[in-house]
Amino acid sequence: MNGAELVLKVLQQHGVDTIFGYPGGAIMPIYDAIYASPVKHYLCRHEQGGAFSAIGYARSSGKVGVCLATSGPGATNLITSLADAMLDSVPLVAITGQVSQAVMGTDAFQEIDVLGLSLSVTKHSFMVRSADELAATLNEAFAIARSGRPGPVLVDIPKDVQLAAAAEPDNAATPQSRALNTSLAQSAQARQLIAKANKPMAYIGGGVHMAGAMPQLQDFLAQCLMPSVTTLKGMGSVAKDNPYYLGMLGMHGTQAANIAVQQCDLLICLGARFDDRVTGNLKKFAPNAKVIHVDIDPAEINKVRFAEVSFLGDMRQILPAIASSTDCSDWLAHCSNLKQQHGWRYDHPGERIYAPLMLKQLSERMPDNSVVCCDVGQHQMWVAQHMRFSHPRNHLSSGGLGTMGFGLPAAIGAKLARPQDTVIAVSGDGSFMMNVQELGTIKRFRLPVKIVIIDNQRLGMVKQWQQLFFNERYSETDLSDNPDFVALAAAFAIPGHSITRKDEVESALEAMFTWPGPYLLHVRIDEKDNVWPLVPPGAANEDMIMETN
Amino acid sequence: MNHTLNITANNEASVVERLLQVTRYRGYQLAGLELTPMAEKAGLSITLTVSSDKPIHLLTSQLHKLYDVRDLQLASADIAALRA
Ligand SMILES: Cc1ncc(C[n+]2csc(CCOP(=O)(O)OP(=O)(O)O)c2C)c(N)n1
Ligand SMILES: [Mg+2]
Repeated sequence: MNGAELVLKVLQQHGVDTIFGYPGGAIMPIYDAIYASPVKHYLCRHEQGGAFSAIGYARSSGKVGVCLATSGPGATNLITSLADAMLDSVPLVAITGQVSQAVMGTDAFQEIDVLGLSLSVTKHSFMVRSADELAATLNEAFAIARSGRPGPVLVDIPKDVQLAAAAEPDNAATPQSRALNTSLAQSAQARQLIAKANKPMAYIGGGVHMAGAMPQLQDFLAQCLMPSVTTLKGMGSVAKDNPYYLGMLGMHGTQAANIAVQQCDLLICLGARFDDRVTGNLKKFAPNAKVIHVDIDPAEINKVRFAEVSFLGDMRQILPAIASSTDCSDWLAHCSNLKQQHGWRYDHPGERIYAPLMLKQLSERMPDNSVVCCDVGQHQMWVAQHMRFSHPRNHLSSGGLGTMGFGLPAAIGAKLARPQDTVIAVSGDGSFMMNVQELGTIKRFRLPVKIVIIDNQRLGMVKQWQQLFFNERYSETDLSDNPDFVALAAAFAIPGHSITRKDEVESALEAMFTWPGPYLLHVRIDEKDNVWPLVPPGAANEDMIMETN
Repeated sequence: MNHTLNITANNEASVVERLLQVTRYRGYQLAGLELTPMAEKAGLSITLTVSSDKPIHLLTSQLHKLYDVRDLQLASADIAALRA
């Protein structure tokens, strides 16, 4: 066998049966091996889309996503997606072809220093110098991608290495996942802090479900009986019927969540990282709280907020070790009051569709365990606010990088990872156009992805900031010459329908869900609708502004 | 303030770039760099001196995470200063 065939063999050894990519000169030997391989390759229409599909696949399933690209422009097209995976801790292995070693370093055709480019957007990157190193390097890449805090790993393989003779890979060489050292030394201290707290609060991020600690989290919240909030990536971590779950915190979080976090005296941060979209003005964030921080990444402890007590390691061991009963019934009552008092309101005058209400209807109508893939902007925040998820793997949103164009290709990956589940891409009129070419992928594989475009004929989120903070100077945010999205879908043999009125929503959702194949629902909304509440830049989280127009 | 880090790293072609990239990105200025390859396959011994007003743990915790970094110690003078 040659190096290229070995690559496919090693992928199989890792249980990989689905890969996403796009061919080109420097990766042709690997594509030649794909031709005869049982590993199923999905041809994307842009490498960024292919890598987002791999991310959607990984995030919806918990497996490692794999994507391929050729050297030069193929590899540079991957960069945004690698950065997205880096900031959202997604296990991804990206394989790029490189020009042959004989011409490397000569500015050869489609030669670019991919390893150098990748440094700041990957957890690690490899350049493989000989076919003998190939299997071990790929094994290592998988181990790095999934171990500790997961992340993207790039493996750059020169064409001559792909073509070189290679020995059959050792079957036993599947990766040893690195042992986790979990120190519980401070658990007595943590239990004491929890037991003594008058106003404890659990602040839950994406790290909890990634650690496989969802059951331990429910036990922890039951045993410690305290209110909880989640980040964008933690949504779906707390059982829907938990009466003390206050929703998402941060810039577009719920009022109840933000007010309660500001008032708490103990903040238990579980697999989250005090991101600035969460904390608002860091100096004013949860000013009276002591912090217990649990994470797997040592660099997150004391990075932006000092933790009185911290734990590194396996969340599944740490949560039971720090659980302690609490005595805070007044606080619990106060929090459920906040929740009641500041519930969402869906009254909206006029006939036009109100996106928050429409998304709530979508949420109630969608089958259990549907996966919703978002794009970035106002619609993304409305999804987070008004849809309910039973697991974080059912809500894929580009959190750290906030990458427009994420939703559609991520939905393709999610549908392939979970063919039995309904997959919905909720996109904006701006974001949808950023990876619209992936409609070609949906068409080819007849993937029954449901696409909902929330069309405000604007780059709405930017427009909202212009309205609020830039004196209504609407610079370059008008999209009123959008294409006819239904006709666009039709060009890819995807049926669709366009709605503008509230009374059309229910039947349109029904039509979308009963149609067996892919479907595009175009939802025209008023460009004046904005996302509320909002914590303005530099403000403390209790200084949310509410609807102003 | 200057800090000196003693690092043992895999002798990979990209390792120095990685150290420097993280150092720059995290907001530390390079004040000195010395490298000595150790015996065959044993790796690289690197002395990295940086200056910044930021606490040094914000850099060491990030450098520690690099796959090719095997060991990282603050020079003893630094440790004494931190304790003081
Ligand atoms: C790739 C990329 N470019 C630019 C931005 C900045 N940005 C954030 S939201 C937004 C507007 C998104 O418009 P649309 O998809 O229509 O969503 P809406 O806010 O209108 O719901 C822009 C331009 C971004 N997040 N990603
Ligand atoms: Mg829009």
